[in-house]
Amino acid sequence: MSIIQAKGVKKWFGDFQALKGISMEIAEGEVLVICGPSGSGKSTFIRCINRLEQHQEGEIVVDGTELTNDLKNIETIRAEVGMVFQSFNLFPHLTVMQNITLAPIWVRKKSRSDSEEKAMELLNRVGIPEQADKFPGQLSGGQQQRVAIARALAMDPKIMLFDEPTSALDPEMIKEVLDAMKELAKSGMTMIVVTHEMGFAKEVADRVMLFDEGMMVEENTPVEFFDNPKNDRTKLFLSQIL
Amino acid sequence: MVDVIKKKAKEVQESLFSSVGSSVLTIGTSYLVLNFFRGMFGFVMSSDKDWLAVLNNMQLYMVQAYPESDFIRVWISVGLTFVFSGVSIGLWRSDDRSNISVMFDRFYKLGLGVLFFTIVAPTFTSYMGNDGYVITEEVFSRSSRIGMLIPVLLITVGFFLLKNRKINFSFNNSDAVFLYLSIPIALIWIIELPTIQLDQNKDRIIPDPLMPIANTTKVPWTVIFVLFLLSYFIGIYFKEVKRLKNIMSISWFLLPLLIFSWIFKKPQIEMAEVLTGDIPIFLIFFAVGLGTVLLINNPIVKKYYSIYIGVVIVATIAGVFISIPMLAKACLLLLGLFVTVVPAVSTSQQGKKSLIIIWAVALVTLTFLLRGGASETGIVVPGSSIFGGFSLTWLLAIFGTYVSFPLGVLLALGRNSKLPIVRIICTGIIELVRSVPYITWLFFASVTLAVFLPAGVEFNLIVRVLMVTAFFSGAYFAENIRGGLQSIPKGQYEAADAIGMSPFQKIGLIVLPQALRAVIPTLVSSAITAFKDSSLVTIIGLFDFLTIGKTVIDNQSVPVNFVGHQRENLIFVAVVYWIFTFTLSRRSMKIEKRLGLGER
Amino acid sequence: MKNAMKYLLFFRNVVFLKWAFQVIFLFGILSIIWNYIQNAIVNLADTNIAFSWGWLGETPGVSVAEGMYTLPNSGLQMIQTGMINMFRITLTGILAATLLGTFLGIARLSSNYIVEKSSTGLLEVVRNVPLLVQIYFFQAFVLSFPRLEVFEVGEYFIHISAKGLAFPWFNRGPNAYLLMVYTLIVIYIANKIYKWRVELLEKEGRDTKPFLWSLGILGSLLVIGWYGGFRAAGVFGFLAGYISLGLESVPAIVYQGLVSGVAIYIGFKVTKAFIDSKKSEEAQGIYSDDDYFKIILNVVVVLLIVLLMFSSIGAGFAGFLVGDEITFKADWGLPQLFHGIENKLDWYPHIDLEIYEVIEGMKKAEITNWLIKPGDNITEGQVVATAYATGNKIDTQEVELKAEYTGKVESLIVEEGKAIKIGIPFYELEVTDAAPFVFSRPKVEKVNETSKFKRYAKGHGKSLSVGYFAIWLGVVLYTAIFISEVVRAGIMAVSKGQSEAGMSLGLRRGALLRLVVLPQAIRVMLPPMGNQYLNLAKNTSLGIAVAYPEIVAVGQTLYNQEGQTLPVFLIWMAFYSSVSLTISSIINYYNRKMKIVER
Repeated sequence: MSIIQAKGVKKWFGDFQALKGISMEIAEGEVLVICGPSGSGKSTFIRCINRLEQHQEGEIVVDGTELTNDLKNIETIRAEVGMVFQSFNLFPHLTVMQNITLAPIWVRKKSRSDSEEKAMELLNRVGIPEQADKFPGQLSGGQQQRVAIARALAMDPKIMLFDEPTSALDPEMIKEVLDAMKELAKSGMTMIVVTHEMGFAKEVADRVMLFDEGMMVEENTPVEFFDNPKNDRTKLFLSQIL
Repeated sequence: MVDVIKKKAKEVQESLFSSVGSSVLTIGTSYLVLNFFRGMFGFVMSSDKDWLAVLNNMQLYMVQAYPESDFIRVWISVGLTFVFSGVSIGLWRSDDRSNISVMFDRFYKLGLGVLFFTIVAPTFTSYMGNDGYVITEEVFSRSSRIGMLIPVLLITVGFFLLKNRKINFSFNNSDAVFLYLSIPIALIWIIELPTIQLDQNKDRIIPDPLMPIANTTKVPWTVIFVLFLLSYFIGIYFKEVKRLKNIMSISWFLLPLLIFSWIFKKPQIEMAEVLTGDIPIFLIFFAVGLGTVLLINNPIVKKYYSIYIGVVIVATIAGVFISIPMLAKACLLLLGLFVTVVPAVSTSQQGKKSLIIIWAVALVTLTFLLRGGASETGIVVPGSSIFGGFSLTWLLAIFGTYVSFPLGVLLALGRNSKLPIVRIICTGIIELVRSVPYITWLFFASVTLAVFLPAGVEFNLIVRVLMVTAFFSGAYFAENIRGGLQSIPKGQYEAADAIGMSPFQKIGLIVLPQALRAVIPTLVSSAITAFKDSSLVTIIGLFDFLTIGKTVIDNQSVPVNFVGHQRENLIFVAVVYWIFTFTLSRRSMKIEKRLGLGER
Repeated sequence: MKNAMKYLLFFRNVVFLKWAFQVIFLFGILSIIWNYIQNAIVNLADTNIAFSWGWLGETPGVSVAEGMYTLPNSGLQMIQTGMINMFRITLTGILAATLLGTFLGIARLSSNYIVEKSSTGLLEVVRNVPLLVQIYFFQAFVLSFPRLEVFEVGEYFIHISAKGLAFPWFNRGPNAYLLMVYTLIVIYIANKIYKWRVELLEKEGRDTKPFLWSLGILGSLLVIGWYGGFRAAGVFGFLAGYISLGLESVPAIVYQGLVSGVAIYIGFKVTKAFIDSKKSEEAQGIYSDDDYFKIILNVVVVLLIVLLMFSSIGAGFAGFLVGDEITFKADWGLPQLFHGIENKLDWYPHIDLEIYEVIEGMKKAEITNWLIKPGDNITEGQVVATAYATGNKIDTQEVELKAEYTGKVESLIVEEGKAIKIGIPFYELEVTDAAPFVFSRPKVEKVNETSKFKRYAKGHGKSLSVGYFAIWLGVVLYTAIFISEVVRAGIMAVSKGQSEAGMSLGLRRGALLRLVVLPQAIRVMLPPMGNQYLNLAKNTSLGIAVAYPEIVAVGQTLYNQEGQTLPVFLIWMAFYSSVSLTISSIINYYNRKMKIVER
């Protein structure tokens, strides 16, 4: 049974059609990497899964719940799907600890002490327990992104979405974030990652997809995708990026 | 030594006489500034000015017609404010230390200033009399100039020498405040000026006898200063208690309410109302809050909790429109806030305990303040309000901000909303209110507002002014806050959405804290503007600080004669306003810097 | 089945909730407003002061201290006087505050220690004292000067007394408007010529001396104008006369229809353009909630305008344009407007001459004998009529009314034996000989031969009342200080790299400021500058505190007289809203223009 099903998802921004009918299924525990040139709709698609954007046609079912205008469904899905953004989007007025415990306390209504315990555990997992009482502004980009991952994990999500998590980072910081993500993938988390880090895709992904102009151009295992691309568009893309 | 002088001279030359144009500007400006100072000095000293008009009316300026028998209430209000300040300065006592030479430098600069005035002050001044002839008189004789010049020169030189000696002694910057303040306190005992005194027949004793300035108030001021100092030590003593700082912040918010509803007002409490109204309402709401906290972990309660919140919110809104006691309305509002916070905090036993305590304290405070606010005043002021002079100015400034700030937040959120109807209505209100000058709104309050109120409902003019100010300042606050809201990146909203926050949590926990922090400087300057604008109530006939100086004193005739001495009073009023606004704006700059440091 | 579920759960549907909330919100706001209006209706019925606009047409029993009509013939004219007084302060104030503010702003950036410190000192003083206190102080300052009575009768250069401030000035004569319009046309022509010469220069590549050409033509045309050529501008008066005639024949309903038609047309155009943009191939006709809302709002607004236009409000508005009873009396309305232009800009301007105060305390005059008849040529100082002067404090006596200008009598407005108030026109004159502007020095004169009271003579120099002086200086200084902050911030916003780049190109300091720094700084400065102008316009309302009759003060006098507080308040609101809107749209226009130029 697949955990995410998308059927013919279409989305317009004003005159511009961003998604032109995307269909896919993702199984539980699977790691899916989506790549593609900018403006190809890959970010829009994963934002639709979290309903940060509304799709206008087609349907998306996440863990048995269809994404509609139903408030209850939106709440359920947001609690089950964690998201990590390109620009971190940590809350600058809260400490690292407060950033992570905010949602468990206010959305999951857990006690503060339980949430803090859990937060410490997560910070250990991403390797920055000593930064708990600092403000986001005092951390490096890589550290901030790892806090963002911990923040998303604090909600015990079933699925994690990563929207170009490394593209706003300096090269030396990319590795620390990717390591945290690899560790997460190994623990059996369902992940959809939009990224241009092909090394990560090769090593961790179960499947790789290429988006272009709002359509899914190619879908394949990493080995096939990189060594033996079927589509010309994929070849062109790989030649530009590798 | 010669090198130093050469270097200084070169600096001066570069700064002031670098080119012909610069030299002309320097000389021109110096001429203007010097003449301004000389003119000011002549103006202040000339014999057609009567500064007693200011000095003799200090009581009128501060509290207008507040009866002398109840003055202790005024002093308690002032004293309480100083005690609070003392404790706060102690609690937040900075660890910055300065060398003693900094203090000497300050005195040295002060000495230089006095020296400058002593030298440039004009010997003669002239003014035009009512008959059109110019009268010239001596205001600063040669002997008094020399008599002043020598000691000032000696003191200045003394401080100059002291400041340049390396003395290894430093003091805490917060402590220094008290040292500086002790100087004026000492001076009000020492300096003596001619004072208006009346004999048994209520005639003025001529010539005016010499008395210390602040003759009648020097004792209370000294007592307050001592209390101020004591509370400072108390603050220092409890510096390590972290919770006290939070309590202090809330207390500062409540202090004006307490002063204006109980201390200054002297409410006449009807025990019957307390017993039949306040206490039952208090008990009911306390019971509801208690029940909520105790039963929150019950699975059935948990399941229907959101319906419960909905019921409370609907009741709050309905409460505004139906006629129930004011206290019940306010308690409903408080309950609405309380029940939304409860689930997040009451997960541990300790959290529940502190929630119950907070609920009880909040209810008691609310009941207490509202009882005082709603009761009749026991102060008898013939033909006027108990607020007048500076107390009215403060009332308008503080309560204007209190009522307009929340409204401003709501309007700003509405204008920034994604919901089109809400957005258009809020934009309309803001723009309409802002496009019309404040004085027009004040006239609206004084003559038109009554037309729109239900028959039989009448508000005091001060209350009506506050109602109008709520909207007027609120609209300005809203524009500032909107600036803050717009400075928050879209990603913040998305991140909050992504972790599943409800719209209200998003606004309360993520958006507003950041937006308000970003606009603190503009908010402070808006508050300063509101303080300055409160002077406009003069035009609609309220007796605020400015009215006293402009109109009231100018009409005093027997046994004194202050008719035609408006300029002295206006200058005094200007100086007082200046001191407050200037200090406030400087403070806000410092706070801004400190905030910037803490955040990034 | 699934669809049925969707409908059943409508109360959980985000879209439904969103709109339900908004409808409830709108309903709440409307019910609150309705509640207050109900209260007002009940309360007004109780107090017997029915809400009405009738007083706009009635002659108010009060006079205005200074301005266009000191003895207004109707409430509307009185309000007009207040508006114009407000604009006198606002327009001159904006000009002065901008100049002073720019100067102070640059002074604050000066490297000269004394200049920088003293301008900062001024800033800190003015900024931190309430404007009202400052205005009161300026008032008290002027009032502390001796009364005018202690000064000798005669001419002065600059004179200051408790009555105000007087200085030399070019006073407008009857021909002033002709000359002003003529000058504007000449400047326009000179500008065109400059552009034509520049074009020629670029085309033919020879020095066509554009600046010299335009300056020469400007100069010579101005000289021709000064010696009578300005009468050429009379062609506008000629045209305005015909326009006025044409407008008079337009019935009110045409305006109602016209405005509705324009509203429908614009609404239709806008909505159609919006729908078309959605119909394009990419958009596929998909509408979001906001889009629906926009379309509905457009329709509602258009319907509302049409409805309003054909209600009593629209009739009132149209009557306003046509010149109904109220507006006719106050010389408002489109036909009267053009008629006014015709009179002022005719080859020989027509003016209505008013009864003036010949002796002190005179309130009315009863013409006993006209000494002129229509068609007569009269010269300045000639006696035109004799009249009985009457007033509460004087005995009735016979006085002579003298001609103020040379010209041809057009018509006699008042018959013999009829008593009229001071300030009411009594004959119309076609002025044939008068200078456009007369330069003169202020003159102190006795109110009349026997009186001990004195005044600044009318038409001699310019005298500013105490109120005018106080409010003008107050708002100018206060606004200039805030403008100086804007200027300083604007200049500092231009990065240092820009100046360095300019200097490395060899630009001198002046050229650098003019060509590199200022053009960039102005873009930053414009929006806050506009805000300051708005503040200045609003702050003129403090004129009421120093008895300067601007619109708020005039409004207050009117409602004290008539008891109509609500209509006066609505007039204030409409007036200030339109002023704010005008100023902010001008600023927005320039802001946009600059941005386009930039790209």
